Parts: sequence; C-alpha cells; structure tokens
Amino acid sequence: MTIGLPQYLVVSGVLLALGLFAIVTRKNAVAILMGVELVLNAGLLNLVAFSRFGGGLDGQVFALFGIVLAAAEAVVALAIVLQVFRARRSVDASKACELKE
Amino acid sequence: MDLTTNSMLLTWTVFTPAIGLTAILALLALRPLLRLSQQAVDEASRAIGLMASLAAAALGIALWADFDSGTSNLQFIHRFVWMKSWNIEFFIGVDGLSLSMVVLTGVVFLAGAIASLPWWGRLDDHHPHFSKKRVPAYWILFLLLEMGVLGTFASQDFFLFYVFWEVMLLPMYFLIGIWGAPTRKDPDGRTRGGPYAAIKFFLYTLAGSVLMLLALIAVYYASGPATLADGSQAQHTFNLVHLTRQAHDGIFVKAGAILGIPFVHIVFVAMFLGFAIKVPMFPFHTWLPDAHVDAPTPISVILAGILLKTGMYGMFRFNLQIFPTGVVWAAWAIGILGVINIVYGAFVCMAQKDLKKLIAYSSVSHMGFCLLGLAALTPQALTGSVYQMISHGIVSPMLFLLAGVVYDRAHTRDIEGFGGLAQKMPEYTALTGFAFMASLGLPGLAGFVGEVLVFLGAFAAQDGIFRVLVAISALSVIVTAGYYLWTMQRIFLGPFNHRWEHLHDMNWRERLTLYPLAVLTVIMGVWPLPVFDMIRETLNTLLASMPAGIAG
Amino acid sequence: MLTNLLAIGPELVLTLTVVLVLIADLVIGDRPARRGSLAVLSFAGLAAAAATFFLLPDGGPAAFGGLVSGDGLGVFFRGLFLVAAFFGVAFGALSDEIPVERFGEYAAMLLATTLGMSFLVQSQNLLMILLSLELVSLPSYVLAGFRRGDSRSSEAALKYVLYGAAASGLMLYGFSLLYGMAGTLDLSAIGPALNAKAAGGSVGIRAGIALAALLSLAGFGYKVAAVPFHQWCPDVYEGAPTPVTAFLSVGPKAAGVAALIRFVVIGFGASVATPPAGGLPWPVLLGVLAMATMTLGNLAAIPQDNVKRLLAYSSIAHAGYLLMGIAVGTPDAVQAVAVYLPIYLLMNLGAFLAVMAVRAKTGSETIADYRGLVARSPALSIALAIFLFSLTGLPPLAGFIGKFYLFAAVVKAGTPFFYVLAIVGVLNSVVSLFYYARLVKAMFLEASPDGAPAVLVPVPVGLLLAILAIPTLVLGLWWSPLADLAARAAGIVG
Repeated sequence: MTIGLPQYLVVSGVLLALGLFAIVTRKNAVAILMGVELVLNAGLLNLVAFSRFGGGLDGQVFALFGIVLAAAEAVVALAIVLQVFRARRSVDASKACELKE
Repeated sequence: MDLTTNSMLLTWTVFTPAIGLTAILALLALRPLLRLSQQAVDEASRAIGLMASLAAAALGIALWADFDSGTSNLQFIHRFVWMKSWNIEFFIGVDGLSLSMVVLTGVVFLAGAIASLPWWGRLDDHHPHFSKKRVPAYWILFLLLEMGVLGTFASQDFFLFYVFWEVMLLPMYFLIGIWGAPTRKDPDGRTRGGPYAAIKFFLYTLAGSVLMLLALIAVYYASGPATLADGSQAQHTFNLVHLTRQAHDGIFVKAGAILGIPFVHIVFVAMFLGFAIKVPMFPFHTWLPDAHVDAPTPISVILAGILLKTGMYGMFRFNLQIFPTGVVWAAWAIGILGVINIVYGAFVCMAQKDLKKLIAYSSVSHMGFCLLGLAALTPQALTGSVYQMISHGIVSPMLFLLAGVVYDRAHTRDIEGFGGLAQKMPEYTALTGFAFMASLGLPGLAGFVGEVLVFLGAFAAQDGIFRVLVAISALSVIVTAGYYLWTMQRIFLGPFNHRWEHLHDMNWRERLTLYPLAVLTVIMGVWPLPVFDMIRETLNTLLASMPAGIAG
Repeated sequence: MLTNLLAIGPELVLTLTVVLVLIADLVIGDRPARRGSLAVLSFAGLAAAAATFFLLPDGGPAAFGGLVSGDGLGVFFRGLFLVAAFFGVAFGALSDEIPVERFGEYAAMLLATTLGMSFLVQSQNLLMILLSLELVSLPSYVLAGFRRGDSRSSEAALKYVLYGAAASGLMLYGFSLLYGMAGTLDLSAIGPALNAKAAGGSVGIRAGIALAALLSLAGFGYKVAAVPFHQWCPDVYEGAPTPVTAFLSVGPKAAGVAALIRFVVIGFGASVATPPAGGLPWPVLLGVLAMATMTLGNLAAIPQDNVKRLLAYSSIAHAGYLLMGIAVGTPDAVQAVAVYLPIYLLMNLGAFLAVMAVRAKTGSETIADYRGLVARSPALSIALAIFLFSLTGLPPLAGFIGKFYLFAAVVKAGTPFFYVLAIVGVLNSVVSLFYYARLVKAMFLEASPDGAPAVLVPVPVGLLLAILAIPTLVLGLWWSPLADLAARAAGIVG
C-alpha cells in the first residue's frame, strides 16, 4: 500500500494521544516530560508530512526549528526537575503540593 | 435653553468641601515641618471641616436667594468639555429639584459636622468616643463625601453624575467601618458591627451602580447627535438636557430591543434598580438597618438625611425625566412596592427593640411615600414626594441625633432597658416627643405636608389602583403613630429606672444641632410656600412631558 | 536589508543589553556595587531600546518577508513591555527575595523574556509565534524557580514548566494542522485560506479547523491564564519570588493577550461585525471562555488567605475581562484592550510592590498579617488601597476607565449574547469588591496583632509606589493621551 498523508496523520494522532496520556496519568516528572516530547514530535511529524504532501518547504523549516525548541525546553525542564529533586529527594509531581489552596 | 457657563457660584458650592479637604491634607503633610502636636492637628481639622460645611451650607442658601423660581431652565451653569473622545462634559447646573437637594445637603452636613465635634461628657474606657479617633482622616472622608453628594445633585452630564455617585461610596465605607461600632457577635452567633455593615452597604450599592453603568452606556449609544460646550458636533451625548430633548422626540422608543425586551423598559429597570437600592426600596433595603445601627451618629444623620434622597433624586432626574413612558409603564409596580415599604417598614418598627433600628425602619417606611408619590404622577403627588424627601431630610437627622444623645450617655439603645427618663432629662423628652410627632406626620409639622399631598395626589390619579394603595397607606399611619407613642411610653414615661441615675440632660453642642432643625420642621410644616415655589416649575416641566391624559 | 533591521531595532538593542548584562556580571564579580550597576546597565539598555522606536520605518510594513509586522498594535505593546521590564528589574533590585550575587542572571533572564514578548506581539507567522512564545516561557520558568533553596519556588517552577511545555506542545500540533489545511504559515494568508476551505468543505474539514483552532488556543490560553488553562497560575504566582510574580502578571499576560488579538482578530478576521471566520464562531467561543475565566477567578479569590494567591486569581479574572474585549473583536474593543492593559500594568505592579514591601519587613504574605497596617505604615496602606480599589474598577480611579472602555465596546456590539456577557462582567466586578475589600478591611478596619513590626518603606520603594499610584489617580480623571495611543494601536486613527 502507498504511504500517503492519511497514514502520517494517523501516526501523529497516535503519538499525540500517547503523549497526552503520559502527561495526564504519569506521576514521575521525567515521565511527564517524555509525554511532552511525544506531543511535540507528533506536531513535528505533522509538519513534515504536510510539507511533503502539499505545501512548500515551510513545514520542514518549522520542523527543524521545532526540534531545537523541544531540545531547549527539555534542558530547562530537566534542570528544574533536578532542582526539585535536590530539595525533596523525589521527582514525584503529585507530591509537590506545598502550594495548596 | 442657553447652556453656556453663566455662573461660578454652584462650582464653588460643590468644591468648597474639596478645598477644606486639601487644607487638611496639606496640614498633615506639613505637620513635621511645623512641629504640630496631634492635639493641634485634630483641632485644626475639626475647625477646617466645620468651616467648610458652614461655607457649603451658606453657599447653598445664596444659590436659593439668587434662584429664579419662575423657570424650570437650568441655572448657575458651568460647562466645559472634559473628555472629547467620549463627548463627556463637566456640566453642572441646578433647577428647582436639584437646588432643593443642594440646600438640604448643606444643612444636613452642617448638622452632621457639629455632631462630629468631641463629646464633652464623661468618657469611659470601655466606650471610646468616635469623635476622638483618627480625627484628620475622619474629616477628610467627611468632606469628600459632601463633595460627592453635592456633585451628584448638581451634575447634568450622565457620566459626571456616575463618577460623583460612585465617589459617595468609598468614604461611606470607611466612615462606617472605622468609626462605627466594633465587630461583635450577636446572640445568634453571626458577626455584626461596623465593618460588616460597611461592606454590606458597599456591595449592595455597587451592584446597583454597575447596572446603572450598563444603562448609561446603552443610553449613550442610542442617543443622537448633539452640540458640545466648545461648539463641536458630537455623534452621541451624555448631556442630560440634550438626552431629555431627544427622549421626548422619541429616539429611545425607536432604539433596538435588548435581549428581546424594548429598549426603554430594560434601561428603565436597570437605572431604577440602581436608584431603588439607595432609596431603599423593599426588597433591597436590608443594608439600611445594619448600616444605621453600627454607624456613628453623624454618619447616620447624613445617611438618612441625604444619601437616601440621592436614590429618589436619581429616579426623578433620570427615570422620570428621560423615560416618562417608562414610569407610566411601571407605575403599578412602583406604587405597590412603595406601599410595601410603607406598611412593611411600619410593622417591623413595632417589633424593634433597638432605638436606632426602629428609626432606620421608619426611614424605610417614609421613603415609601416618596415612591408612591412618584408612581401616581399627578402634580400634587409629585410635589408631595419631593416635599417628603426634604422634610424627611430634616426630621430623620433630628431622630438620629436624639438617638445619639442617649447612646453617648447610656451606651445602649435598648428601648426596653430605659424607663421614666422624662424625670431626669425633660428637655430631651420634649425634643424627642416633638421629633416623633413630626415624623408620624402631625399637622403643623413638616411631615404632614408631604404625606397629605402624596395621599391627595395619588387618590386623584387616573389609575384606580392608587385609591386602594392610598387607603392601605393611610391605615399604616396609625401603625406609625402606634410605634412612636409606644416607644415614648417605654423610654420616657412610667416609673424611673434607677439604672440611669447618672444621665444628665442635653449639652450645648446637641442643642446647636437639634433646635435649628426643630425650627425648620415647624417652618416647613406651617409655611411650605418657599419650597413649593422652588420646585413647582421643575415638576410642571417634568409632568408636561408625560404622554397626554396621564397627568391628573 | 536596513529597513528590516530597523524594524526590529528595539529588539536588537534588547539582545545586546542581555549580552552586556551577562558579561558585566562576570566582569564586576563580587563587588558591593554589583546589583546597582547591573540595574543601571539594564535601564540604559531599555532606554536605548525605547530610543530606537523613533527609527522604526514609517507605515509599518511587514519585515523579514512577512515574519513580523510593524503595525500600531505591535509598536504599542513593545513600548509597554519596555515599561514592564523597567519595573521588573527595579523590583528585583529592591527585593531581598532575589539573591544579590545572582542579580545579573535575574536581569538577563527578565530582559530575555521581554525580548520574547516583543517578538510575540509583532509575529505574523505561525513559526515566529511559537518561537517567541517559547522565548517568553523558558526564561520565565527559570525566573519562577529562582530561589533555589526554597522548595515553594522550585515547586512553582516545576508546575509552570510541566504545564507550559504541555500547552506549547498542543499548540504546535494545532499549528501543524492549521498549516496543513491552509498551506501556509503566514497569518494574514491563513484566515482567507481557511475561510475558503470551510465555505466549500465537508464536515470533516470544518471539524479539522475547529480542532486546530482549539489546540492553538491552548497555548494562548495558558499564557493568558484563561480557563481551562489557568491551573498553573495560583501556584506559580504564590511560589515564585514576588518581583517575578509581579512581572509575570503583567508582561507575559499582556503579550498573550496581544498575540491572541493578532491571531484571532487580525489573522482570522474574527469579530462581532463579520461572519464567523474559518467556520468557527470565535466571538461566542471566546465570550464563553471569558465568562468562565472571570467568574472562576473572582469566586476562587474570595476564600484566599495568601495575598499573592489572591492576586493571582484576581489576575485570572482580569484576563477574563480582557477576553471579553477580544471576543468582540471590533476596533473599539481592541482599543479598549489597549487602554486596559497599561492601566492594569500600573495597578497590578503597584499591588505586588506593596506586597513585596510588607513581606520584606514582616516575612509574611497572609492577610492576617496586614491587619492594622494603616497604623504601622499609612502611606503604604493608602497606596495599596488605591491599587486595590482601582482593580475593582471604582471611579474616579484609572481601573474604572479601563473597565468602562471594555463594557462600552461589549454593549456596542449589540447582540443578545454580548448583552448577557456585559451583565456577567459587571456583576463580576461587584464580586471582586468582596475580596479586594477584605484586604482593605484588614489594613484599615482592624487592629494590628500584638508585636506586629512597623513596616518602614525604603525611599526607592516609596518612590516607585508613587510613580505607580499617581497615574492610577490621574488617569481616572484625564485619560486622553492613553486613549489616543490605544486608538493608534487599534488602527482606528492613522
């Protein structure tokens, strides 16, 4: 079968769903970040697919920038996770509840 | 009519309190430089506040002296463009109705100012008197309030009116909250006291005001072109004179419906609610007893004497002047709600044990007459309504000052706890009896004229329902007499309660406030002509705009 | 080439300032005058950036091939952000919550955020929007967690980064769908392309557009802290150092609002006056979000005891009022938003400065410790009362003027939905009085707790309070200059 645009969209949709599932259900901060990466990559995949099967090169340019973006975000996020870990010896996001109503 | 600036007298009247306010602020700022003691600053603040109130009252009288009662045109106009982008003008001017309120404001605030002077009696540590507490701040807020009220009555630009209307709220909040009764728990465990009453007052009146804001914006966008003070043309206007003319030309009748309801009706209701909460009209009156009970005496005086009248004034100036068809449409509702005020207020008074709460509910009851008069829309009824506003503005300050007399001495207002005070305080008894009689409408005193005119006017109204309403109200006058006489009986007559052995009769400060008011009460009761002259033309003009066949 | 560079002149100067601040921080090292000189350097940079505004090419052409637009909206907000950055650096220099030895990093991060905000409001291209948004967010995450030893600060940063990363991921996905359907990344071309597709297309296409738009809104909603993307806001505002909270509450929020205006109103051309753009009823959608946001913000603020958290919910509510204006979408409404935001900046910064001053002397952020403040620090109490009553929207303070403009724009819209929105809006203002007055009541109407320290306000803090309070008073009575600037921002007047 030919791999056309719909196939790519389905894959990115699955990635999005998996990523969202991870973000919403996981308690470990690093796991949540992995979910975020999945979501980001779903978007990037979309961009490349749309660029390949339709529009110009804009999508691929966007995807390249997006990769760098995801990397930068991961750096900052993991640095903060490290800071939290140093303070509390745990990366359990559900345990971070000092700031309550 | 010519709307160009022709006099600065009204501007001086409105802003004299602001001058006093600035003087006190300057005094506070310069205090370290001049090395003034707290005592000196307090005394100076009181002097400045008193002088400013006196000046405002005197200027009000001067305005009256110079007033041409033969016309309903605005006089003492001061007008210039304030914010061109919204066609907002600083536009103040008075006709008979506004002038009567401006003069009343001056008088009531003067009485309040004198009543804010220190208590000269024996102070005890358990009841620190409010007049010694944070004096400069008190007078700053007092004068700010006076400026707000004067500005409200003088404004002829809707936006300016709204700004002055809201300026009245903040000082009242602090005046009741800081200088009122401390927070306490009542027998049912609920928190009560000055701060509670203050925030309740603020929330209720603000809720009404924001609805008025929406109405204001809707009216602006529905209005037609008008000329500004600098001669330029404006697409819409806030100018009340122009709005009135456009309203009578039918511009608002043609305006689009809002939420499916005709423009005139929904805007009328929005504005009416804003004013009704201030009047206070049942069922929005519940803030008033709390505010009166916990406010210090002068603030109760001002609240009952003049602040309630801003609500009724608003109804005349906006609801009646701009939307006369709206008043006709709502006449039944306003009339019935007015009568509910009268009857409900009277009956609740019978059950009161706190003297100030009793007087508060009697205010609710008396403002009901004003509402009934407005709804009836006949010349006599309207005249009676306005006269009742003025007379209530003289009598209820008296009542609250009298309540303050006994509270300052006995530190309680429990009616049942008194007894036979006539033996210890004969002058006070006489004055209280006089005030009660004036309030219940004894012929010869101020209250009678307003009430009887409202009754006569309403009875003659086109719509037959008003006869029924008058009958019900007239019966409730009996209840009014009942609770006043019963209160006199419980407090002053009967065997002397020796708990009050230490009470002494009135002092000169109290006499200075009460006797002038008493004299005014008698004058207004036997010689109403000057006031009639002042308001006649204005009310005639208002009625002339009625759809044909309504004015009786 | 030169025109392109001049068009982003302010941003180039800002970038240079960031670099210079970092270098200066290294060069100055551990000397006592460090904080002061770095602050002065930052101010100089901001002033230079402001000066380059005069070099902007006239007429506002799109620079860099349509990536950024030089129109009035962009210029207005870029100027506003320079003001916000000034106060952000000043607050940081005066606060004891920012460690002195790390002030250089603080200033650099803050200026970097400002840089991101400046690009965000002029971005006309989906890629540019996302990049700018991230440039705003990443330094903000760092700033939120600036107090390394403080577990509350770290927790705030963690929540902020997790939430923000998820939101920007969703936004990227949404943008990818928009790109796929419109075939271009340029905002000005996307609107018409989507309109064309929606007009001719099937249910699937319209659902696709709706999904794309909603996902994109996730990113904007998160930045603005609108319901249902607001959950990070109270925790982050409470945990972050107060100067950071103050800056976050005005800077990124305003940037988000401006970006949303560009995205919805200019990009999609959506307003009350025009037919639904891209097949989506933007006015109703944003109006419902606005109602939810202001109501939740106001109601949730009522039981709060922590002042910073209370102000966080209050800023959520204000985002709701702003969304009301964006929902209407007419030039009047955009002008109203442009009038509201500078006033909001003054009030909010003022309130947070007062909170900072109280915290510095009492170590507390709870309302109970504000009791009787008027006796301990009259000027501070009066200033804070002015800011709080202005936030409520009471005349004759500036906050009333902002709300007046917004409500006037909503009433002018004239449809039943917007009349209901206006009523909900004014009633929310009344509810907000309840919790602002709680703070005023504590300060003025209650007595100090025993042993409460006097709160002496240092002269620089007092000066800043005055600089913020005086316009709040003056603009309530005379606001022409602001209105004119806002009109130009909205493109109403030439």
